[in-house]
Amino acid sequence: MVVPGADQSDEALAALAASGDGRAFELLMERYQSRIYRLACRMTSETEAPDVLQDTFLQVYRHLEQFRGASRFGTWLYRIATNVCLMRRRAASRRPGESLESFLPRFDESGRHEDTPETLSRMSHLDERIDRERLAERAHVALDLLPESYREAFVLRDLEELPTAEVAEALGLEPAAVRQRVHRARLMLRGYLNDLAGRLP
Amino acid sequence: MSDVTCARGVELLMDYLEGVLSAGVMESIDRHVGGCPRCLAFIASYRETPALLRDATAEEIPGDTKRRLDGFVRSLSERPRES
Ligand SMILES: [Zn+2]
Repeated sequence: MVVPGADQSDEALAALAASGDGRAFELLMERYQSRIYRLACRMTSETEAPDVLQDTFLQVYRHLEQFRGASRFGTWLYRIATNVCLMRRRAASRRPGESLESFLPRFDESGRHEDTPETLSRMSHLDERIDRERLAERAHVALDLLPESYREAFVLRDLEELPTAEVAEALGLEPAAVRQRVHRARLMLRGYLNDLAGRLP
Repeated sequence: MSDVTCARGVELLMDYLEGVLSAGVMESIDRHVGGCPRCLAFIASYRETPALLRDATAEEIPGDTKRRLDGFVRSLSERPRES
């Protein structure tokens, strides 16, 4: 008899859970709870995160039989959680904020950076020069301002640190499309942070 | 691809960092960046961006939220599975 335990792979626990083993399901959700919470805070907000987790756990529970082990369990779970976040964001119908387009790097007609090395590196060691809470608050504002499709890709790739191939699988995209979105997000966010650094006293 | 501009280098930056470009293109980017203080400064700040935001948004789940969610998971797992 197979007993669910901490040493078992996600995929083994998922199979046990699908066959009705409640303890295996609990272990599996325990394993991912903090990661999905962080993801939810990054993709929606701290207020919405608990609901995102409940919805995600419910979806996982209902669709366990459909997880066939074709991908890693974590990838499958991230896909579900990402979709739940997207639904929440749509339901909340957020007001469109200012665009981050203005923070993209600027070039002169010869293709050279318009900014000088000094202005381009204003944000160096930003975390040591700004209050932790203020940086957290600004970070959430910036993530919230990203175009929907960039945010998903950026959060999974750069904040959750999934490999590009796994992000592609979770979002149903080609790796090249993931790289393109993550790159655009990085450019906008870099510009946003650099601008923020330039306004510090 | 002999004369890479700053703009072209920025466009290819993520592909460059992920190592998905051909050796020839990588080399021409290296050549440009090596002699361009603006690109060096830009790339450093580009590479700092993910970690800055990661650290700034690494929220821990509050204890009472965790207890509520654990309870929710148990309420699911104790339900008989319909098959
Ligand atoms: Zn340059």
